[in-house]
Amino acid sequence: MKVDLYNAIVSAQMSRRKMLKGSASLGAVAAMGGLGSAASAGAHGGVRAEIMKIPGVGMGSPGDPEWQKVGELCMGPVKERVAEGEFKGVELTFMGLNNQNLHNFLFRGFLKPWEAYTGAKINWIDLAQADYNPRLQQSIATKTVDFDIIEMGAPFEGDTAGQGLLNEMPGWVKDQIEYDDLVGYLQPPVGTWDGKAYRINIDGDCHTFCYRKDYFGTGSITGRMNPPNTWQEVNQISKDVVGKTDPLTGLPAHGFLDPLKGWGGFGMYFLTDRAGPYVKHPDDPAFLFDIDTMKPRINNPGWVQAIQDVMDLIKIEGAYPADQINADPGTTGFQQFLAGTGSMLTWWGDIGSNARTSDTSVIGDVVGFSAIPGSDRVYNHGKGAWENTYNEAPNNAYLGWGVYVTNRVEGDAKKRKAAWSAAAHIGGKDISLWTSAYPSGFQPYRNSHFNYDEWEAAGYDRAFVEDYLGSNLDTYNHPNSLNEPRIPGIFQYYSVAEDELAKGYAGQYGSAQETADAIAVAWEKITDQIGRESQVKLYKAALGL
Amino acid sequence: MSIEEGDKLHVVTADDISNNKKRLGKFLVWGSALILIFTLLIQALDTNAYLTIGLETWRPSLYAYVLWAFCLCASQVLTRGEHGKRVLFVLPAALFVISMVVFPLLFGLVIAFSDWNLSSPDGRTFNGWDNVRQMWVDPFYWNALKNMVWYTLVIILEYTVAFGLAILLNSQIRGRKFFRVAFLLPLMLSPVAVSWMIGKSMLEIRFGPISRFLRWLASEPSTDLPALLYYPGMYIADIAQWFGWASPSFFGSAGIARAMIMAMDAWTFIPFMMIMILAGLQAIPRELYEASEVDGASKWRQFLEITFPLMLPVSITAVLIRIIFKLKLADIIINITSGGPGGATDSVTSFIFREYRDRSNVGYGTLLAIVYLVIIVIAMTVLIKIADRWMKPRY
Repeated sequence: MKVDLYNAIVSAQMSRRKMLKGSASLGAVAAMGGLGSAASAGAHGGVRAEIMKIPGVGMGSPGDPEWQKVGELCMGPVKERVAEGEFKGVELTFMGLNNQNLHNFLFRGFLKPWEAYTGAKINWIDLAQADYNPRLQQSIATKTVDFDIIEMGAPFEGDTAGQGLLNEMPGWVKDQIEYDDLVGYLQPPVGTWDGKAYRINIDGDCHTFCYRKDYFGTGSITGRMNPPNTWQEVNQISKDVVGKTDPLTGLPAHGFLDPLKGWGGFGMYFLTDRAGPYVKHPDDPAFLFDIDTMKPRINNPGWVQAIQDVMDLIKIEGAYPADQINADPGTTGFQQFLAGTGSMLTWWGDIGSNARTSDTSVIGDVVGFSAIPGSDRVYNHGKGAWENTYNEAPNNAYLGWGVYVTNRVEGDAKKRKAAWSAAAHIGGKDISLWTSAYPSGFQPYRNSHFNYDEWEAAGYDRAFVEDYLGSNLDTYNHPNSLNEPRIPGIFQYYSVAEDELAKGYAGQYGSAQETADAIAVAWEKITDQIGRESQVKLYKAALGL
Repeated sequence: MSIEEGDKLHVVTADDISNNKKRLGKFLVWGSALILIFTLLIQALDTNAYLTIGLETWRPSLYAYVLWAFCLCASQVLTRGEHGKRVLFVLPAALFVISMVVFPLLFGLVIAFSDWNLSSPDGRTFNGWDNVRQMWVDPFYWNALKNMVWYTLVIILEYTVAFGLAILLNSQIRGRKFFRVAFLLPLMLSPVAVSWMIGKSMLEIRFGPISRFLRWLASEPSTDLPALLYYPGMYIADIAQWFGWASPSFFGSAGIARAMIMAMDAWTFIPFMMIMILAGLQAIPRELYEASEVDGASKWRQFLEITFPLMLPVSITAVLIRIIFKLKLADIIINITSGGPGGATDSVTSFIFREYRDRSNVGYGTLLAIVYLVIIVIAMTVLIKIADRWMKPRY
C-alpha cells in the first residue's frame, strides 16, 4: 500500500470506536493463532493471517525487522522448490528504486531469509526515481546491462523485452506466484511478449475520478444530485459553475482541472483519461496507433474531440483557475484540488490518500471517488464513424511495478533458477497481501487482495477498505480499460505530444485538429526513427496479437 | 655548468645527445603511434563486425593512447635533452586536455551526425546531414533561439541596474558593508531554489504572498473607511483591476511569463555583474576625480568622462561572462514553465534537455547542442572583436 494511503486509513479509524472493534478483531485473531480469517484456507490462511499482524494496523511503520519476519514467514513456496544451500556461490545483482526508503529496502528485508536459506548473495543497485530511466536506457543503448533482476514499470517492457533483454519466466515460477490470481488487466498480454511471460507483478496502478461531494446534491451550486457519468457532463458542469462561489473555500468555483502543462510525458495520461471513452472502442484493442502500420490515431475525431473539450474550457474565462496553462498534474492534484480549488480531477491513488493526511488538504471530508466517466458516444476507428452508444474506458495508467529477470542469467541454469526464485519470492501471493496492506509503495493487484474479511481481521475499518479497494477493483477488471501500449520509447511519444499540446492550448495552432495533426506528424517521426517495422511488431506483441 | 649562448631561457646544461638516444626516442614515438593506430583499426573493425574478436569496451584503445602519450613524453627527453624536459612541464597537461576536451568533442560530432534514439533496436547509425535538415525546419528550436535573443537583450537592462547598484555601494552610504553582502545573496542561491521559492511559492496564484497582495490591491476598499482612505483606495483598486490583478497570473500569457523568467534570472545574476563593476570602481584612482573637480566637472560629467570610460574593460568582461551564463539558462525554465506557455519561455538548453532526457533522442539533441556551441563561439568572438575595436581609440 502507498505510505500516504496507509497513514490515511490509520488516522481515519484511530479516532473511531471502530478502532476498538478492529483491535478486538485483531486480538481475536491473535488468540486464535491466526486462524480467524474466514476466507483463508489451510496453511496459506495461517501465514496470511499471521503476516497481516506484523506489526499490526496502526502499530507504527514497519521496518527491516518486520520485513525480514514477513519474508521468513512467506518462505514456504520457495522451500517447496529449492533445497537449502542450493544456490551457494551464486551472486545476483538487483536494480531497483529507493523511493521513500521502500522498494529495494523492502526487498532487501524480504530476501534476507531467502539468501540465508539458499546461500545466494544479492548485490543492490539503488536508484532515485529521476535517475531510473536514464540509467536503464543508457545500459540498454551501450549494451552494459549489469543487473540480473530489475524492478521495472510495464511501459519499459518495449525497451527491454522488446529488444530481447529479458529472460522468459519458467513454468514453475508461474505456479509459485499463482499467476492466475492477477486482476484482469494484469493478465496476459500485459507482462508477456510474443506469448512469453516475463513479468512478476508486484503492484497495480490506475487513474480514478476524484470529485467534491459538496458540489453535488440538494442545493449544490451545480444543481445536480450526482457526480457526472460522462465527459460531456463534466464539461457542462465546468461551464455551469463559472462565476459561482466554491462552497468550501468561498473562492471562485471551478469544474474539472485539466493539467495544461507537460510533466515529462506523464501529462499525456490525463488527456488519455478524457479521450479514452471517445477512442477506445470495445471491439478494437488499439487506441493510440493503427495496429498494422503504427499510423497515429491521435488526430482521429475521437482524440480531437478530447482536445477540443479542453480547448472549449480554455476559451471560457473562469472555467479554469487563473494560470491553468502553467499547471502540470502535480499542480492540479496537490496545489489545486487538495487545497480546495476545482471540483473534479483524475489522478492516481495519491490524491485519495493525501486528501485525509496532507496538512495542506482541506477536502478530506468532502472528497468522493469513482471510476473515470464514460461518454455518450464512441468513435469507431475501423468504420470511421461515431456511434451514439455509452462507452466507458478507464485508464490503467502506467500498469504498476513488476520484477523481471534479465538474459544475463542465460547459460547458467543455477543462476537463472536463483534469480527467478528471488523474484518469485517478492512477488509471491502471501507476501503481496502484506505489501498491499502495509506501507510498501505498492497497490493491490491480485483478486485475492480484495477479500475484505482478511483486511477486517487484520484491524482495518471494513467500510473504508471496501470503498478504497472497490474503486480500484472496478477499474482493474473493466473489460474495456486502457492499457499501456508498452512499445519502446512510449514516453518519447508522450513527451512530444505534451509539447505540441502546450502550443495548441496556447492558441498557436488554429484548431484542435491542427494540434492533433502536429502530434501525429511528430509521432510518425519517432516511429520512423525507432524503426516502424519493429514498432509494429512490438505493438502487436504488446496487444497480444 | 655553463649557460648556452643565445639561449634566452637559460638552459644550464649543454646536452650532448647521442644519435642512439635520438633514434631510440623516435623509435618510441613511432612505435607507440603504430601500436595506437593498429589498436584503433582493430577496434574499429571489431566494432563494425569485420572482425570477431569480441572486444567489449574501448579500453584497449585508451591503453594504447596512454602508452603513446607516455612514449611521446619520454622521447622529448631522449631526443631534445633539457629542452625536452622543459616541454614536459606542459605536454602532459596538453595531452590531458586533448583527451578530455578534444576527443569528446570529436565523438560528440560523430554522434551529432548520427540517428541515435536510445529506444531504437538498431542503435546508432550515421545519417549525414539529416539532423541538420531536421533542425532547419524545427519550429521549437528556432523559437527557443528567438527567445534566447530576447533573454540576451535583457542583459543591457541588467547591466544598467548592476552599474547603478555598484555606484551606490561604492559611495559613502550608511550600512554599506551590510548592503554589499545582502545584494550578493541572490547570487549564492541555486537557480533551482529561486524557481521554487519565487516562481512556485511566492508567485503561486492562490496562496503566494505576491498574488495575495495584488488581489488585495485590486479589491474595493471597505465603505467604512474614512473618505481620505476610501477614495485613494478606490483609485488604486481601479488601476490594479485594469492591470488584471484581481486575478493575477504570472505565467499564463507569453509576454508576462517571459518577463517573469527574465526577472528571476536577472535577480539571481545582477549581483554577479554588480560585484565585478564594484571591484572596477574601487580601482579607479581617486586623483582623477579630484582633478576633474578642480576643473569644475559636474558629477554627471565625471561619470561620462571618467567612470564609464575607465569601467569599459570591466563592463565588457562582465557583460560577456553574463551572456555566457545567460545562454545556458535552463533550470528556472524547466522548473517553472517547462518552456510554456506554448514555447514562450523555452530556452535552447531547456529544449535540448527535453529532446535528450524525455525523448532519448541522443543524436539530434547532440547536434542541437553542437550548433548552439558554434553559434555561441562565433557570437562571442565577434562581440570580443567589436568590443576590442571600440575600446582601442580611447586608450
